[in-house]
Amino acid sequence: MGTPQVDRRFFLTRVGVLGALAAAGTAVPGVARAVTTGPADPLVGVVSKLLAELARDTLNGLAVFVVPGPDGYSRTQGTPRSEPGAMEAKTPDFLIESLDNYVPMPDQIAAAVGRALANGLADVPIVVPNGLPLIPNALLADLDDVIKLLLRNDSALPLSAVIALLLNTQAVRVDPSSAVGPHLSPFSRLSFAKKAEVFELLEHADPQLVKAIDAELPEPLKGTVSGILQFIAGALLEFSAFGTFCEWSTFDADKLTVSKRPVGWDLAKYDPGSMDGWDEFKGYYQGRQKVSAR
Amino acid sequence: MRDVIIIGAGGGGAVAAKELAAQGLDVLVIEGGPRHAKPREQWSRLENDANNPLTGYLRVGQEDRSKPAAYRELPQNSFLWQVSGVGGTTQHYFGNSPRAYPGVFGGYDGPDAALYDVEHLFPYSYSEMVPYYEWVETTLPVQTAAVGTKESVYLQGCETLGLPVQKTKTTLEASYRPQENAILQPGGTAGKTNDANLLKFPQATGCTFCGHCFQGCASPAGAPRNLAAKRSTDNSYMPMALTAETWAQGGKAVELVTDATVTKVRTEDVRGELTARGVTWLDNRTGMVHTEDAKVVVMAGGAVENPRLWFNSDLPNPNDWVGRGFTDHYLDWTFGVFEENVGSSKGPASAARTDYPGYGMNMNVGLMPGIEAFTMTFSDSGIRGQYTNGRGMSGEWDGKTGRLIGPELKDVLGHGLDNILNVVSIVDDDVSPINRVTLSTLPADENGPIPKVRFDNRHRTARSQRNREFLAREAARLLKGAGAKKVYRMDFPALPLHVHSTMRMGESEKDSVVDHSGETRAVKRLFIADNSALPNSVGGPNPTLTMQAMVTRISEHIVTRYFDGEAWVAKGSPVLSTDSRISRRLVELGL
Repeated sequence: MGTPQVDRRFFLTRVGVLGALAAAGTAVPGVARAVTTGPADPLVGVVSKLLAELARDTLNGLAVFVVPGPDGYSRTQGTPRSEPGAMEAKTPDFLIESLDNYVPMPDQIAAAVGRALANGLADVPIVVPNGLPLIPNALLADLDDVIKLLLRNDSALPLSAVIALLLNTQAVRVDPSSAVGPHLSPFSRLSFAKKAEVFELLEHADPQLVKAIDAELPEPLKGTVSGILQFIAGALLEFSAFGTFCEWSTFDADKLTVSKRPVGWDLAKYDPGSMDGWDEFKGYYQGRQKVSAR
Repeated sequence: MRDVIIIGAGGGGAVAAKELAAQGLDVLVIEGGPRHAKPREQWSRLENDANNPLTGYLRVGQEDRSKPAAYRELPQNSFLWQVSGVGGTTQHYFGNSPRAYPGVFGGYDGPDAALYDVEHLFPYSYSEMVPYYEWVETTLPVQTAAVGTKESVYLQGCETLGLPVQKTKTTLEASYRPQENAILQPGGTAGKTNDANLLKFPQATGCTFCGHCFQGCASPAGAPRNLAAKRSTDNSYMPMALTAETWAQGGKAVELVTDATVTKVRTEDVRGELTARGVTWLDNRTGMVHTEDAKVVVMAGGAVENPRLWFNSDLPNPNDWVGRGFTDHYLDWTFGVFEENVGSSKGPASAARTDYPGYGMNMNVGLMPGIEAFTMTFSDSGIRGQYTNGRGMSGEWDGKTGRLIGPELKDVLGHGLDNILNVVSIVDDDVSPINRVTLSTLPADENGPIPKVRFDNRHRTARSQRNREFLAREAARLLKGAGAKKVYRMDFPALPLHVHSTMRMGESEKDSVVDHSGETRAVKRLFIADNSALPNSVGGPNPTLTMQAMVTRISEHIVTRYFDGEAWVAKGSPVLSTDSRISRRLVELGL
């Protein structure tokens, strides 16, 4: 444990906020004060917006990890492609919509992840790289208070933001230099191999992370988190793939069809035809239409 | 008071509903999800709209899709894939309707008898089951599958394995064959044209080879509901149950309540015996709570919801087997990349198979691109080339098992969906008490504490693991024999798509929840009539037909034991679910 200022710097670096401020050049109301942190507090609004941007950026990095394309995120991870990928398929939007509106993750679990990121993991030292903005200690304290308040408050943050903070915390762990650089989020600054390391940690139910989250859970829920982390790690990858290759991005719900060919159909050379049938009946194997009753 | 209340209108509940309605009983069916009354207007047959487990029209949850799906705690890398609504999971099934291997039944004395899950056999013989198989096979009906390109390629691969062709209903040895499918064979223009205008009923009948089994079947366009090609129970058994007075002498149509979740099975003490008395349910739309009594209650909510409802009803669990012994066929996935077009996206999802009694089975699967991409990223072996989770198996396939992520996923799918042939390995997995459904400690939903589904894939029995490795090798051999240039094996994590035996039937009261008749040991007049009552994983074959035959037998026990009726299967002959009287009545009722 260092001084409070150092701890705050660690925390804000770890969840990607300092790097995001550096990358975005976001103006933060720089008045040091005792943070009252109601919804009316301007700093809460600024930080919420920043976290939403951070979440989108992180999910951009996730989506192209699974299906890279010609975008800048794919270039950063070292696997650019000439043909379209997850960004062109709007997969980050698919992930955000799914996570924030439809994944019925109990608030208690999401909040415990948030609290663990705010509390327990602050004890795990990291190397803070150069290049992060020098923010006055008083403002550092304000930012720290606001974000921790949001993280500690059940259901204050959308699930996409919690997932992003989780990925970014692990990103800075596998590669401290990801705390600063292009894009807003540490996860998106990682190479393909380092992103894989983040998922290796999650799939192995990273004991440090599990311990920190478990400590935040009320008794009946203790012990549930390692399995849930393994589930989340898998689902993030699988949903990124499914979202990119399905019809979601161009689906017209009123007409029950696509408004134009989805990116994934082109990538997989899929032809749905008329949807009603194909000239594909080749006959019966060995001419047998019926087997014996025996 | 009703004669019978059936909880769930899925693959099993619909069968009980039809059989009991035909006997003239007063039957109420309560289904937690929707009835899709006009599927041609409601179903896009596109995979996110259909199959997204959070939002799809084929999900587990209430009818209003703006409300969250039912939440189940899955404390591991896994994916539980069921469907609520009339038809249940048969709405997305492939219609594959093989019989179970005889070796999973009591009294089997073939030379391979020791190869099966011998501790958990059916409490009756295969020969006793055969009349019930025949009854269901005629009712649905089950027919030999018509073959398209992907089946031709799969069967070519089978021809290189040194196995005989199975030409019987009963599987007698390791062999291969076209599927026996509950899909009407193509007639008229079906399968012979791409032109939607020529694919309307009655010009086209049966399977039109549209390639959307997994998104629900309402083809051909314009067909009465009971003449849709795939015989999911929304197309077959439920239409019969809803029209029973027209096709069964003395029959009485069931009453169906949908989008309503049973939250409690109520009991009372009758002469010292705990006895089912009725149910309480919640109307999902109004939030109103209803209650009704019945002489018999049938639980058919599936392998996850039945144990949940049992626990939430505070019913006794003296041997601690409620929810235990969950079998799911320990699925694995292998696929080959071909230079030529193998037609994966067209035709019935699976129309060819290879059977290995004592081990399980392999079969081909055709999918749309999103779910194909899902299968390629779904593994317990980490990310190929990056990490292995302590697995990463090598074998007759190319490279190690693992998720295809990033450039590799694009390169492989970029060959084109129709240049990829999938083989799913469906393992004869052992009943194991550690794989189970319990109540979660996570917050309850409006229907009470939620289920937690535990599958410990790393601690399957030695026999289950042996069987899976055997089938994966055979799948790779088949694909190479068929001409695949490259073969990938996924090593799936738990993917409970076939879900059975959580309320298992068994000979011994020490490790079963229901007796041979389907009645629960702990509560009289309470029956289990779906996959959860299967005694084991039926040896690997797709479970639906066997379950439906078992439920037919259970229905006879309900009638003979509690309603002074006589058994009908042995001396009767079934009405086909495609009968024109059913079609006419459905139109009259606007169904």
